[in-house]
Amino acid sequence: MSVPVLRVSNLSVAYPAGAGWLRAIEDVSFEVAEGRALGVVGESGSGKSTSALAVLGLLAPEARIESGAAQFKGESLFELPEAARRDLRGNRISIVFQDPFTSLNPALPVGRQIAEPLVWHKGMDAAAAAIEVERLLAEVGIPRPREVALAYPHQLSGGMKQRALIATALACSPELLILDEPTTALDVTIEAQILDLLESLRRSRGVSMLYITHNLGVVARICDDVCVLYAGRVVEQGATAAVLKAPRHPYTKGLLASLPRVTERKHRLAPIPGRFPDLSAPPPGCIFHPRCSFVLDRCRSEPQVLADGVRCWRAAELAGERWRVEEGAIPARVGKDEGALVEVKDLAKTFQLGGLFDGFQVDFSRGFPLKFAPPSVRAVDGVSFSVSPGEVLGLVGESGCGKSTLGRMLVGLIEPSAGKIRIAGGSPQSQRRAAQIIFQNPDSSLNPRKTVQSIVGRPLQLHDLASGSKVRERVVELLELVRLSAAYLGRYPHQLSGGEKQRVGIARALATSPRFIVCDEAVSALDVSVQAYVLNVLADLRDRLNVAYLFISHDLSVIAHIADRIAVMYRGAIVEDGRTEDVLQPPWHPYTEALLSAIPAVDRTPESKRIRLRGDAVERGEAVKGCRFQHRCPRKIGAICETDTPPVREAAAGHRIACHIEV
Amino acid sequence: MRWPASLVAGGSVFALIAVAAALGPALAPYPYDGMDIMARFLPPSAAHWFGTDEFGRDVLSRMLYGARLSLLMGVGATAVCLVIGVPLGLAAGYYRGGIDETIMRAIDLLISVPPILMGILILSMTPPNPWKTAIAVGIIYVPIMVRLTRSVTLEIASEEFVLAARARGERPWYILGAEILPNAWPPIIVESALRVTFAIMLGAALSFLGLGVHPPASDWGLMIAEARPFIVEAPWVAIAPGIVLCLTVIAVNLIGDGLREVLDPRLKRGRG
Repeated sequence: MSVPVLRVSNLSVAYPAGAGWLRAIEDVSFEVAEGRALGVVGESGSGKSTSALAVLGLLAPEARIESGAAQFKGESLFELPEAARRDLRGNRISIVFQDPFTSLNPALPVGRQIAEPLVWHKGMDAAAAAIEVERLLAEVGIPRPREVALAYPHQLSGGMKQRALIATALACSPELLILDEPTTALDVTIEAQILDLLESLRRSRGVSMLYITHNLGVVARICDDVCVLYAGRVVEQGATAAVLKAPRHPYTKGLLASLPRVTERKHRLAPIPGRFPDLSAPPPGCIFHPRCSFVLDRCRSEPQVLADGVRCWRAAELAGERWRVEEGAIPARVGKDEGALVEVKDLAKTFQLGGLFDGFQVDFSRGFPLKFAPPSVRAVDGVSFSVSPGEVLGLVGESGCGKSTLGRMLVGLIEPSAGKIRIAGGSPQSQRRAAQIIFQNPDSSLNPRKTVQSIVGRPLQLHDLASGSKVRERVVELLELVRLSAAYLGRYPHQLSGGEKQRVGIARALATSPRFIVCDEAVSALDVSVQAYVLNVLADLRDRLNVAYLFISHDLSVIAHIADRIAVMYRGAIVEDGRTEDVLQPPWHPYTEALLSAIPAVDRTPESKRIRLRGDAVERGEAVKGCRFQHRCPRKIGAICETDTPPVREAAAGHRIACHIEV
Repeated sequence: MRWPASLVAGGSVFALIAVAAALGPALAPYPYDGMDIMARFLPPSAAHWFGTDEFGRDVLSRMLYGARLSLLMGVGATAVCLVIGVPLGLAAGYYRGGIDETIMRAIDLLISVPPILMGILILSMTPPNPWKTAIAVGIIYVPIMVRLTRSVTLEIASEEFVLAARARGERPWYILGAEILPNAWPPIIVESALRVTFAIMLGAALSFLGLGVHPPASDWGLMIAEARPFIVEAPWVAIAPGIVLCLTVIAVNLIGDGLREVLDPRLKRGRG
């Protein structure tokens, strides 16, 4: 076999942490063969980015490479002088980072940034570079490349920026392309476009890829081989199809069992219990043993070695075993029809943009020249729905579609511009106790200066629901509901893991015994295994307390897992809604169909039909004429889409689609 | 609870200076205005520990007398600036819109007048007195405090725990006082420690213009300013008050650091 493009062997990297060292990756080995794509997957803290940065020589100065080697085409990277490594970077090895919104310099035109490696490494002059930039932009699928080259980053959408960054990375025809979560910050339909692009680039250029991601679905789409990292160690590696189909390491099994899927609706997910180990004091024995459901005594004392692509001595005997399913699963709830708990009618919200002075416009053409007409955006545009007690309504849509604004209006955080909200017969302001909200970001949803007890106890005191020693008792009860023990009472948020913080946030929302909770991307910031656990907690609470949710997410798989009904939102309006099983099956609104097709699923068959949307989401403007989806619709039927508001068609009982196409 | 070392060190140095200021007149070996033309510019000696100035006055005694005024200027002005600036900044950052616009434009107005001019404006209307100088200096620094507090508040007010508080129906004063302010303290404390230093110096500048302390009384800033023409022949006249001023500044900053540590649960050790 020929020399691999990249061979990392026995790499260990440590960061200083307090008094000691924290070993971020230990004994990591992998290979990227010529023309192949290797996916490095792991949850946050698994060391996947550290490995890539070590290869590039871009580790933080305080990091220390303790041992190991990295060879690029047989050349040992760590022994090269800095100047020689600089020559490699952006030239023969290049990288695309996660966040296209911060990776481009806002002060320079995009074209100049793409030209930089060409001028630097290839010694091209400006004119030759400009021609090459245009060619590259066209190659990554950007329409009108000449204009885009002259544009500034803020004039491009997220997907366009990421394409431009990929063009930069490809500029010098690298032999190895490192991609660090390149689609994580993008919407799912844009992600699908970028993945298509990467796939076609692999075919056309034969470039080898090191693809770093937390998303197993993306790995299944793009990568030939996969290397699963946990706590800085490789726990399993092999061909993607084999690993995903028949995972051998318990962690991989757990990770796959934690994934909510659109194709397979389960009552409860099977999460990985426990929390990520403290790498400055790793547990003895197998690093995964505290969370493993197949743990034996030997695992606790004996560190595991990577043998035959898996770091588990029981791998062979566990071959047929599945990750245990959480016990005590409560039978599926039967939908009780008790009338509507939440009723929303023709709800709309218009935001004014800019400050006081942006509202004045000078126009001499007619009448008094000074006019007050502030620029505005219609974030939510005539939405109606209802939620019954104990029902979960999933609201799915891409960023900027107005779903969070809608959720916040329901709990009285934003005043609607028009329309009506009734919660348990009252307005959101009068129903603060009945309607609560859970937020997305575990790091920002808890006040860092307060203990868990005062965070969860405060709503009780505010609404006079408990006093004195009763507060503590009630807080302990609430913590038990989210499966946290009383030991957490005195802790501060920084002492909790992401999942624990999110559960404290849920306990706080539950304190007033609400009948309705808005979950605004409540699990989106969590790692898969933790997300599954929190989803189970939420499902349990619904069953035990009969609380209804409006579950807002951009992730259709999560929504499909937890929701009884789904509403699909696009540019401020609901384009399709109905029972989950109806929405997930044809007939579809073209947008729903595209969303479903865009999800990178681990078990997608290669034949699955791909529906791609044109372009990116158009800018949010004022009133829409015709169908709001017309600009991106792959099934646009003609002029009628541009002129007439689509009719709402009833595909089945309670399944509504707003589209000109007949169902 | 363990006290952070910086708080202990800063606190004890500051306490020492404060005690010296309080007991100043009793400790001073000479009267602060006791001139002795024969003893001009004496270098430090056993009789005059820090030497004498151009009128033969004992530098140590003048420093002890001046300590009170200097501390009043530094701490008093900073207190005034905090009391006015922090609530305005909180309100501007939390309510945004019209309230923000009104407060910030008023602040712009205040900031557009140079500090010394502003001091003259405030102080020339009524007969000068050290208290009023301190208040004037405090007002001069209000814009800085408002802007700082506002920017911190803007950031914290968009955090989800503030939204959660609003969603459960908390009143604005609770959100500002119990949710936002505790998280806004660290930068405010750092800024306040800096303000103490600047206030002492600005107070001295105003005194130099006859708008604060009146000669022959003095404070440290004024002593340094008065010693400037003789800095080559008699450096000790400026150095001694300079050193105590430095010590005070360092002590105040250490206290600031220590307070930050005490107030931030993330920096506490031995828990969890």
